[in-house]
Amino acid sequence: MGRFLLKRLGLALITLVLLSMIVFSLAQLLPGNVGRNILGPFASQQQVDQTNHELGVDRPIVVQYGRWVSHLLHGNLGNSLEYQGSSVAGLLGPSLVNSLKLAALAFLICVPLSILGGIAAALRQGRVTDRSITIGGLSLTAVPEFVTAIVLIVIFGVVFKLLPTTAQAPPGSSFLVQIKYLLLPALALTAVLFGYIARIARAGVIEALDADYTRTAYLKGLDTRTVMFRHVLRNALLPTIAVVATQTGYLIGGLVVIEKLFNYPGIGQRIYIAAQNKDFTMLESGVLVIGIVYLVATLVADTLYSLLNPRIRYGAAE
Amino acid sequence: MDRETRRQLDEYRRTEAGPVENNLIDELLAGELDRREFFRRASIFGLSASAIGGALAALGDAPLAFAAPVAHKAGGRLRLAIIPPPVKSLDPETYLDQGGLETGGVAGEFLTRATQSLTLLPELALSWKPNADASSWTFKLRPNVKFQNGGTMSADDVVATYNRLLGPNSAALSAFKGVLSASGVQKIDSLTVQFNLDTPTASFPYLTSSTTYQGIILPANYADGTFQTTPQTTGAFKLDSYTPGVGAKYDRFTGWWGGSAPLDGVDVTYYTDDAATTAALLGGSIDLIGQIQFATGRPLFGNPNVQIFAARGATHREVPMRVDLHNPLHDYRVRQAIALTLDRPAIIKTLFDNRADIGNDSPFAPVYPSTNKSVPQRKKNIALAKQLMKEAGYAHGFSITLTTEQTGEIPQLAQIIQRSVKAIGINMKLVILTSTAYFAGTQSGGPGGLGNTPWLNTPMNITDWGHRAVPNVILNSALETGGVWNAAHYANKKYDALVKSYEAAIALKDQQKYSGQIETILLHDTPVIFPYFYNYLAAGSTHVKGYQADALGEIYLSKTSLA
Repeated sequence: MGRFLLKRLGLALITLVLLSMIVFSLAQLLPGNVGRNILGPFASQQQVDQTNHELGVDRPIVVQYGRWVSHLLHGNLGNSLEYQGSSVAGLLGPSLVNSLKLAALAFLICVPLSILGGIAAALRQGRVTDRSITIGGLSLTAVPEFVTAIVLIVIFGVVFKLLPTTAQAPPGSSFLVQIKYLLLPALALTAVLFGYIARIARAGVIEALDADYTRTAYLKGLDTRTVMFRHVLRNALLPTIAVVATQTGYLIGGLVVIEKLFNYPGIGQRIYIAAQNKDFTMLESGVLVIGIVYLVATLVADTLYSLLNPRIRYGAAE
Repeated sequence: MDRETRRQLDEYRRTEAGPVENNLIDELLAGELDRREFFRRASIFGLSASAIGGALAALGDAPLAFAAPVAHKAGGRLRLAIIPPPVKSLDPETYLDQGGLETGGVAGEFLTRATQSLTLLPELALSWKPNADASSWTFKLRPNVKFQNGGTMSADDVVATYNRLLGPNSAALSAFKGVLSASGVQKIDSLTVQFNLDTPTASFPYLTSSTTYQGIILPANYADGTFQTTPQTTGAFKLDSYTPGVGAKYDRFTGWWGGSAPLDGVDVTYYTDDAATTAALLGGSIDLIGQIQFATGRPLFGNPNVQIFAARGATHREVPMRVDLHNPLHDYRVRQAIALTLDRPAIIKTLFDNRADIGNDSPFAPVYPSTNKSVPQRKKNIALAKQLMKEAGYAHGFSITLTTEQTGEIPQLAQIIQRSVKAIGINMKLVILTSTAYFAGTQSGGPGGLGNTPWLNTPMNITDWGHRAVPNVILNSALETGGVWNAAHYANKKYDALVKSYEAAIALKDQQKYSGQIETILLHDTPVIFPYFYNYLAAGSTHVKGYQADALGEIYLSKTSLA
């Protein structure tokens, strides 16, 4: 088990280094001149060159990368190029916390709901419950999230005024108030993910119900409850865990549209605006942060996976 | 007029009034100005209330009556949505964007403030006075104005602020270039500043107003980058906290020279999406939106819980066509023909539900008193357009690319132009960029002298322009030979000379004489199509009282309250 985890960790670190290289090179491809962007249209070319020199963006890309990584390792993400005088860490930090809050709530609502839905559908395979869960879930997934979000905003926020239309609670709000503000976007995300996760859970359960070991367990005289928990679900939920883990990156860094519609200052919007405004330092650090979150989530999923399925940890240890 | 009033007016004309003021009173007495226009011009030239009253009394008008102040309910915090968030820093001399000028403007004040009716109100200047040819202006400052970080405002602060505004990196150069240089700003005494202009400019006081939105007066020792960390403006509200891209918080400034603002404070949330802003106002999460667009804010119109604040102004789009390239646009007849294909009344109906004025292909918007309205309005005329194309040798049309930005209704306008020019055989390709890409690149140097940015260098494009209280900035920067924003690369010596004469003209009828000639030249040459000038729109809940939209988007809340 320890060796397995070490190996996964090593792979994660290599991925991270590769990611940092890709992010850095991609950012260089964005059109535009950093100095010109900072100083504005009226500055002379000489001033622009001087600023570029001070920022070090006129040096070879390898040198820039080395400098960036060494700063990074010292925990220094630099200053934002767009919002001069603000540090990247000071802006990314709160955005990441916001994104994590929303993702956590969405997870707490969505994952149990979809797994339960998937199990219910599998147990009533081919019947009305199954059809309504699979077709309903698929339809919700197929509707773009901005449509779902707007419908939710109009119904709950504008017509009935039950929930706030913006996701950001006033500063200093209590835990419950924050949840109230985050409920609508979390529901919109649930609508997006429910069909997908429920489908995977359903397929897993159906497969496990058909498996030889389940028949053996029944023949052995175990009651349905024990068969379900000890044999069926344990095997059936493996793919679901993998799927849930891969959605973490999306839930934390990919919510540009949802964040925009609910005007929520999460990390997705930060990175999107940074890309638009050529704020390289913000963009590079932001993407890297999401990469780390993603890798951590995958690592957690792998660990869970190996705990549930001994074949994996023994197979991987060879 | 009683004898005493006449005596006072004569005394004023003899002792205080210079040629400019006397000319203005003569115009009024000769019936060349109506009462409203006299007010507006008197405010530009800094006539005192007693002089204005005296002059009106000379016409047999009743003495000036000032409206009783409206009683406001004090207290509460206004929740304000600003869209889009400021880009870059909050240093006022760098403002180029709506988010920046709105954020700075809640806390900042100017020497003068332009109102909806294009009059000027004293703000940090109490009075101002030109010399005989309006080439030098003397501003008396308001005494006992406190900065939010403790100091008292004096001439030194104003001189330092203007030196920053006239520095090499200042975005305010768009207003001041060719009008005023740093060496022209002089302290006379602790509360008097003199502006010695590069060229006589009768409307100079407007350039010191809120329409030059970079012109927020700051302490002499202001350091760049500190606007968001230390409250140091003079306004009714002080900026207490600012999170880039997220929001800002303002509290009432108790030391404000104007007394106590009704609101306790203002909480700003930045938005990037029109639909989110609209939902937030309808859902009661915010009280006021700084700017809305008719095209994207339709649910707000006609809603009983929403009030729309409109300001008629000169906000507009320009469609420059480069006159200096080797393509058909080189020929003025082709440019005229393109302009003649547009059905302008239909365009403003479609895009703004008629909340706009029709443009006549010059910066002279109908809202400006100096606009010469006797110049005929250009109307759709396909037959004439076809004939012009034939004369120019393009009877069978040609292909051209129009480049523009994804802002407001501009993509729709681009499509309308594309469809319209099809009638004269022009096959137009549209390239619609994000605003960032459209304005990216350099704006100086290079072969054309205007760098490589798309908005100043593509053969034909559409650009968004803000309101100005007088058309001077656009006359200079967008159309004059060598102008910093001359996207058409237009050069016409006769036009340049007329603009100088127009800007120096003091009497309204002289201004209209020159504006008529300018309008005629621009209609003939058509370097730029000005399809319309649209109303600036803001929206708020019905709880918001005492708010007026500003045609440039300044958000002035010192008299606003919540019911």
